[in-house]
Amino acid sequence: MPWFLHLALRQLFPPGKRFPAFATVSILGVALGVATLLVVQTVMNGFGEEHRKRIRESFGDCQVVAARPLARPDELVAELRRAPEVASATAYAEGPALARRGDFSGVAAVRGIDPLDPAQPARKYIHGGTFDDLDDGRVILGLGLAQQLRVRIGDKVELWSPAMAERAEKGKAPLPAEFEVCAILRTGFTEVDNAAALIPLRRFREIWNLGPRAHGVILRLKEPARAEEIAGRLNVGHPDLVFRPWQAIKRNFLEAIRFEKTMLFFLMFIITLVASFSIGSTLFSAVIRRSREVGVLAALGAGRGAILALFGLQGLLIGALGTGLGFLLTGGILHFRDAILGAINAVFGDGDMVASVYQFANIPLHYDPADFVAAGVFTLLVTTLAGFVPALWAAGRKPSEAMRDA
Amino acid sequence: MPEIVLQATDLAKAFAAPAGPLPVLTAVSLEVHAGESVSIRGSSGSGKTTLLQLLGGLDVPDAGEVRVACEGALVAPRRRLGRGVGFVFQNYQLMPELTALENVALAARIVGVPPAAASAAARELLGLVGLAARADHLPAQLSGGECQRVALARALVNRPAVLLADEPTGNLDERTAEEIMRLLLDVVAARGLALVLVTHSREFAERASRRLVLSGGVLSPA
Repeated sequence: MPWFLHLALRQLFPPGKRFPAFATVSILGVALGVATLLVVQTVMNGFGEEHRKRIRESFGDCQVVAARPLARPDELVAELRRAPEVASATAYAEGPALARRGDFSGVAAVRGIDPLDPAQPARKYIHGGTFDDLDDGRVILGLGLAQQLRVRIGDKVELWSPAMAERAEKGKAPLPAEFEVCAILRTGFTEVDNAAALIPLRRFREIWNLGPRAHGVILRLKEPARAEEIAGRLNVGHPDLVFRPWQAIKRNFLEAIRFEKTMLFFLMFIITLVASFSIGSTLFSAVIRRSREVGVLAALGAGRGAILALFGLQGLLIGALGTGLGFLLTGGILHFRDAILGAINAVFGDGDMVASVYQFANIPLHYDPADFVAAGVFTLLVTTLAGFVPALWAAGRKPSEAMRDA
Repeated sequence: MPEIVLQATDLAKAFAAPAGPLPVLTAVSLEVHAGESVSIRGSSGSGKTTLLQLLGGLDVPDAGEVRVACEGALVAPRRRLGRGVGFVFQNYQLMPELTALENVALAARIVGVPPAAASAAARELLGLVGLAARADHLPAQLSGGECQRVALARALVNRPAVLLADEPTGNLDERTAEEIMRLLLDVVAARGLALVLVTHSREFAERASRRLVLSGGVLSPA
């Protein structure tokens, strides 16, 4: 081990002191900065990832729609299923309807789906009841809509479609379609949960007088992240169709999440920068306090480079240990995140915002190695710099000047 | 005649002051031979420490030059810091976080001696100054006299031709000062080193083979 590294370690961790004040405070400062940065980034990644997942599961990886209902959706589905990038394709139809039960009513966004499709994403978001009970006489309602109509599983609801108005125009009695609620859906998307009503596609076609037609096709892709590129490729040869990848379906929402993450990174970056400046100032005082030692080292033959390394390494060591501890702290905080949030809610008397606003069972996480690498590299760079600046000053002094300070 | 191990010619040094440059040394010349001990006395502020720093290469003279023996040649001490000249300071100037052994070995490590060899040399020198049993003690666990012994061992570890001692007994009580001075002169004599001793003490100065006084920026025989 080079002498300056040995001395740097000894100066940071003097023998006989379990928790040397300077090193402990500096390392903790860096660790807290790194942990704050990474906890925020990881949780924001989690929210983003969870939202992206829900968007894909609610709207599909790619929606295929046209200006008019698809005349031969089965042919299109069969063709799209043959594409190597497509995992599954299923036709759907959707339209607004008036949902009513007794004195309560609401606007329902009715979607006709294939109840036998095992990949049907709604299966994951059943809040009560059973998806497999869905048949021609049953409906799955979004939680908000069910609350609005004051219905529970087993209750009956009526759906009034615009097609019924056409019947009335023709002088026929516009009879509503009656369904029994078999399950409640809770996706976390307010706009979905407040309006969704899922019925079999076959039944939808009857009520909407669609015949064999459908409003679109939902695609599940083998690589959803490449949805934009795949949508462009699949669109070739279908000028009358629009392929909308999931990134385009909620573009503004996703952009808002990304912007929020960037802004939080910027704010956390400032916090880490402040921590680094305090390390710089602490190291500066340490160098000034050790001025005569710098003079002695020079008198013993230590070159400028070695003196620079002696103090610069202390900044680097503080940065490295602080970053490592920050990583551990991040893991610890995130592991106990729900308990921590519970304690915060208990202290401030707030309800469970994660559940009530975001409708997540717990705080979502997504560990992105790039965030850890960026935080580590950035912190090491800044703390090393914070050590080198005073080291430059120390190394630039004449030994006699430094000794005179003794 | 023993060889010259330290040669200073027409050294001049002035410090900046509000009223203009303040000359401290005007024309100091000095030759020290191997095995010779030279004492320099002078009042406070006469420039003794400045002269020692110039002789050791810790500062640069405004005029004149210094040469010390190092590896068979006379060279500017500034180019060979830590090798040709060994320093003993009034305040010991030990690294508080290093043990006695590490403090001595550090001086050798700095000039490139491998760790094992540096430790071996340091252990031997601590034995020479009577501190073998306290090699693993930190400076805070040693008395003033013991610290100065460590400092002496450190000054010797790179086998310098010249030892520059700046008030080495200034911080010690009378009895310890006597012990240190005796040890210093014995070690210097035993190793055939040259010694330049800056001291306020007339008694210690008298023990050197040549006695000088620094006054008015000029060095003259006592």
